[in-house]
Amino acid sequence: MSFIPGQPVTAVVQRIEIQKLREGDNLILGFSIGGGIDQDACQNPFSEDKADKGIYVTRVSKGGPAEVAGLRIGDKIMQVNGWDMTMVTHDQARKRLTKKKEDVVRLLITRKSLEETVRQSMMQH
Amino acid sequence: MPAEVKQEQSPSNQTSLAMMQEPQEVVEETVTIEEDPGTPTSRVSVVTSEDGTTRRTETKVTKMVKTVTTRTVRQVPMGPDGLPLPEGSSPLGSYTDSIDRRYMKNGERFITPQATSTLTRSYNNYSDSYNDTPDSQFRHYGLHDGYGDMPENYGSLSRGVNYRPYRPYMPTGGYRPENSYTLPIRKEDYGHVAQPQVPMGSSTVDLNRSQPERFQPEPYGLEDDRRSLGPDDEEAYDLEPDYSTANRRTLPGRTIREPLRNGPRVRGYEDPIEAELIDERHPYIHGMYPAPLAQPERGSMASLDRMGGRRSPSIDSIRKDPRWRDPDLPEVIAMLGHPIDPVKSNAAAYLQHLCYENDKIKKDVRQLKGIPVLVSLLDHPKAEVHRKACGALRNISYGKDHDNKVAIKSCDGIPALIRLLRKTNDMEVRELITGTLWNLSSYEPLKMVIINHGLQTMTNEVIIPHSGWEHEPNEDSKPRDAEWTTVFKNTSGCLRNVSSDGAEARRRLRECEGLVDALLHALLSAVGKKDMDNKSVENCVCIMRNLSYHVHKEIPGAEKFQDPSALQDPGSAGTQRKKKDDAGCFGGKKAKGRKNGEHDKNYDTLDLPKRTEPTKGFELLYQPEVVRLYLSLLTESQNYNTLEAAAGALQNLSAGQWTWSNYIRATVRKEKGLPILVELLRSDSDKVVRAVAIALRNLSIDRRNKDLIGSYAMRDLVSNLPSGQQRPAKNLEEDTVVAILNTIHEIITDSSENARSLITAQAIDKLVAINRTSQSARETKAASHVLQTVWSYKDLRNGLTKDGWNKTHFQPTATGTPKGSKSCKPGYDDTTLPLMEKNQECLIFHPHCSADGYSTIDQRDKDSKYKSSDGSSDLQEREPLKNDTNRKHYIRSNRPTVSLVDACDVKPQPVDSWV
Repeated sequence: MSFIPGQPVTAVVQRIEIQKLREGDNLILGFSIGGGIDQDACQNPFSEDKADKGIYVTRVSKGGPAEVAGLRIGDKIMQVNGWDMTMVTHDQARKRLTKKKEDVVRLLITRKSLEETVRQSMMQH
Repeated sequence: MPAEVKQEQSPSNQTSLAMMQEPQEVVEETVTIEEDPGTPTSRVSVVTSEDGTTRRTETKVTKMVKTVTTRTVRQVPMGPDGLPLPEGSSPLGSYTDSIDRRYMKNGERFITPQATSTLTRSYNNYSDSYNDTPDSQFRHYGLHDGYGDMPENYGSLSRGVNYRPYRPYMPTGGYRPENSYTLPIRKEDYGHVAQPQVPMGSSTVDLNRSQPERFQPEPYGLEDDRRSLGPDDEEAYDLEPDYSTANRRTLPGRTIREPLRNGPRVRGYEDPIEAELIDERHPYIHGMYPAPLAQPERGSMASLDRMGGRRSPSIDSIRKDPRWRDPDLPEVIAMLGHPIDPVKSNAAAYLQHLCYENDKIKKDVRQLKGIPVLVSLLDHPKAEVHRKACGALRNISYGKDHDNKVAIKSCDGIPALIRLLRKTNDMEVRELITGTLWNLSSYEPLKMVIINHGLQTMTNEVIIPHSGWEHEPNEDSKPRDAEWTTVFKNTSGCLRNVSSDGAEARRRLRECEGLVDALLHALLSAVGKKDMDNKSVENCVCIMRNLSYHVHKEIPGAEKFQDPSALQDPGSAGTQRKKKDDAGCFGGKKAKGRKNGEHDKNYDTLDLPKRTEPTKGFELLYQPEVVRLYLSLLTESQNYNTLEAAAGALQNLSAGQWTWSNYIRATVRKEKGLPILVELLRSDSDKVVRAVAIALRNLSIDRRNKDLIGSYAMRDLVSNLPSGQQRPAKNLEEDTVVAILNTIHEIITDSSENARSLITAQAIDKLVAINRTSQSARETKAASHVLQTVWSYKDLRNGLTKDGWNKTHFQPTATGTPKGSKSCKPGYDDTTLPLMEKNQECLIFHPHCSADGYSTIDQRDKDSKYKSSDGSSDLQEREPLKNDTNRKHYIRSNRPTVSLVDACDVKPQPVDSWV
C-alpha cells in the first residue's frame, strides 16, 4: 500500500484493541514495531512499497496480548488511540504505544489480506 | 546584320518554341579550340544562318570540349552534359547552341532579343527544359540558377551582337554550368563536409561537451575583407557572381544545415558558396584537413587574396587553376602579423578552426611560433582581433599536449588573458578567456601561475558577480541568485583545478577575498532553486571540498581549536577514548557546552549559536551551517560528481580532532545526515559509495554516530562487499572495497554491538571469502583486519562458533599478513593523503574526484588499543545513552535496536521496538 505523505490515505482497516499485560512495572503489548519516518523504509520487509515509512508490526510474541487481540506480523499500524501513525518517527510510535497510564490501546491497522478480502467480496457482488 | 534586328523583334517565347521544333535539323558545327586555359570562358559563336543551316564558331576552353571538333548541333548541347567541366565553359557553348538552334528554328537567322533580358532568358530556359526532352536534364539545372543565366545571355548576346570582353563576367559563365552539373555531387559533397563541421558550431555539441571548441559564429571572410580593401574591387566583382550563383543553387540544401551553424552562415550569403567553391577547387584539401576547412577557408582565402605584397602566386591560380591551394600554416601564422586587422582576425579564426581537435596542427602552430603572436593579439584593441586570438588559444590550450599550455604560459599568456578579462565586457570573449584558463589549469605546473596572476581577478570579475553574493548586502535588495553562465562554469572549473594544487594553493584560495563567500552563496542558491545537477554546482562543490581538506591543520590559528582530549595524551587510550565517547554520547550540544565550560577563555567566540559577527571568508568552510548545505546536495543532486564532492566535503570536515570537526560530526547527526549518507551507499556510482563510506568512517569518530552507523549502515556497507568469487552487481573498485572494509573496521572497533550487527548482517561469509580469495592484497589485508577485530570480542565467539566458524577463519591468511595490527597500517587510509582532484579541462570533462580517502583518525592506535577490549566496556559506556531518551532524534530507537540484537539475531537490521 503506497501513499503520498501528506495526502489522504484510503485503506481497508481493522480495529484491534489490545489489553496491556502488566509484568512487574512494565506494561507489555507483546509485539514489536518497525519503521517510522526516520527509518530506512527500504529495509522494511513487510511494506509493498519500499518507500513506505509507516509503522509495521514486525513480530508478535506467542500468546501475548497482541496475538490474542488478533494482531499479526506485517500489519501496518495506521492509528494508535486515534493518533496518526503514518507520519511519525519510530520513537514517537513506540512512545504512543507504551504510555504507562494507558492499559488499553486501540489500533487501526491495515494488512494486505484485508484488502484482498474486501476486493473479493466486492467482486462477488 | 539583319539578324540583330530580327532578334529584337522576335519574342523570346517564340524562340524557345522554335527551338523545340528544331531538333530534327542537323547542323554542322565547327569548334575551334582555344588553348589558353588562362581565359577559361571564351566563347565566341558566330552564327551564320544560311538555308537553315547554322555555322558557328565556338571557342571553348574546356578540354573536354576540345575533343569534339565537329558535330551536329544537336549533339553539342548534349556534349557538356556528360562532361565534368571544371571550368564549365562548355555549357555556355551548349547554350549558344540552343540559342542558335532557336534562330534556326524560326528560320530566321537572327539573334533573339532575349539576351538582353535576364528574365526572359530564364523563362526561355524554363520552357526549354520542359520541352526539349533530350536537353531537359541539362536545362533543368540551368533553370535553377536563373540569375546565373544572365551573364551568359550576355555572353550570347555579345556573341551575336557585338563582341564584348567577357572577362568580368567570365567566372560566372564559367562556374555556373559547372555548378549545375555537379550539383548533385556537390550536395553530397557538402553533406560530407558539413558533417565534421557540425561540431564546430552546433548547439548539440555545446550540450555534449561543456565548452565545444566551436567555430566563431562571427562573420568574417570576404565581406570584411572587401570592405577594407577597396582596390581589389575588380576581383571581388569577379568572384561575386560566382558566389551568388552557386549560392542560390545550394540554398535549398543549405537550409537544412543552417540551424546547425551559427551566425556566419545565416548572414553572408556568399559563405556557403565559397565553401562550396573551395570544395570544388581543392579536392585534395579534404584529404589533409577533412571538413573543417571549408569554413575557415573562406576567411583565409579572402585574406590571402588581398594579401597584397605578400600574395602568393598560388592566389592567382585560384582563378585560373581549379586547384589553387590553401594557405599553409606558416602563411596563416604570418598573417597574424598582418597590418590589416581583419586579416589578423581571419587568420586567428582560421587557426582556431584548424586546431579544432587536431593535435598535430596545434603542435605545428606551436613549433611555428604562432602562440606568442596569438598571445600578443590578446592586447589588441579591436574586439574582433582579440576575440579570435582568444578563440585560437582556447583550442590550442585544450588537449593532452601540455607543451601547448606551457607555450602559452611561457609567453606570458596567462597575465595577458587575465588582463583581457579585466578589460573586456564582451561575454563571449570572457567565455573564451575563462575557457582557456580552465584548459591551462589542468596542467599542474601552471596552477600556481594562474593563482598568482588570476585568482583575485577571476573571483572579482566572475565568481562574485555571477554568484549573486554581495559584499555589503543592501538591506533593501533581495539576495540574488547565482547565474549559471558559461563564464561562471569555466571559471569555477579553473578554480576547481587549481584548488587541488596543494596546501599553498588551498591557502591562497581560502584567503582570496570573497571567494568562499561567493561559492557558498552560489551553492545555497542552487539548493534554493533545486538546480543542483549542473556543472557549475559541481565545480563549486569540488572547490569547497578541496578547500575543506585539512582545514583543521591549515587554517590560521587552527591549533587553538585542537580537541584538547586529542591533544592531551594521544598515547593513552583510556583517557582519550573516555573523553571522546563522552562527547559523543552527549551529542553536539552537550559537547559544546562541556567544551565551552572547560575552555571558556578560548572558546567563547566559538559558541555557534551565539555568534555575533557573521562569519566570513574561509571560516565559512567549516561552520556547522555548511552541513545542511552538503546534506541538501546529497539528498537532491543527481550528479555523481556533486554527490561525491559533497560527501567528500563532509568527509574532510568530519576528519580531524579539533573543535569544529566535533561540531560537524554532531551536526551531521542532528541534521539527520546519517540516513542520507547511508542511503547513498546504495548508489550506483563507485566513487560516491567510496566517498560516503569514508565520510561515515570519519563521522563515526563521534561515539553516537558510531553507534547509529553501526545500527543502520551495516547492512548497506556489507552489501557493497563482494561475495565469494563473484563481485556484487556493482563491481566496485578495489579502492572502494577497501574503503568500506576500513569503515566497517572503524565502526566495529570498540563496539561489540556493532560487531554483532556486522555478524548479523551476514558479513562473515563475505569477509572470510575476501580474506581467502581476493586477488587484491589490500582487500585481503583490510578484510583480515576486520575479522581479527570481530574475533577479539570474546562474547561473540560463542555465536560465531555455533555458526560454524572457528578461529582460523579469523586469522590472517597464510600470505604472511602479520598478526599485529601494525602490519595493517598500509592498508589504512593515510590521513595525509591530499585530496587531489584530477584536472578537468574546459572542453571535455573527466570528472572524478579523489579516490583517496583520508580520515583523521589514527587507525593504528585505535586498532592496537581496542583490539583487546571486549564488549563490556562498550556496554558501560553505552549505559548513559539509555537514559537519554528524551533527546529524540539521535537517541531515538536505536537503543531498542541494540537490545533487540541481543535478544534475537534473526531480524537485526531494521529498527524494531518491542512494546
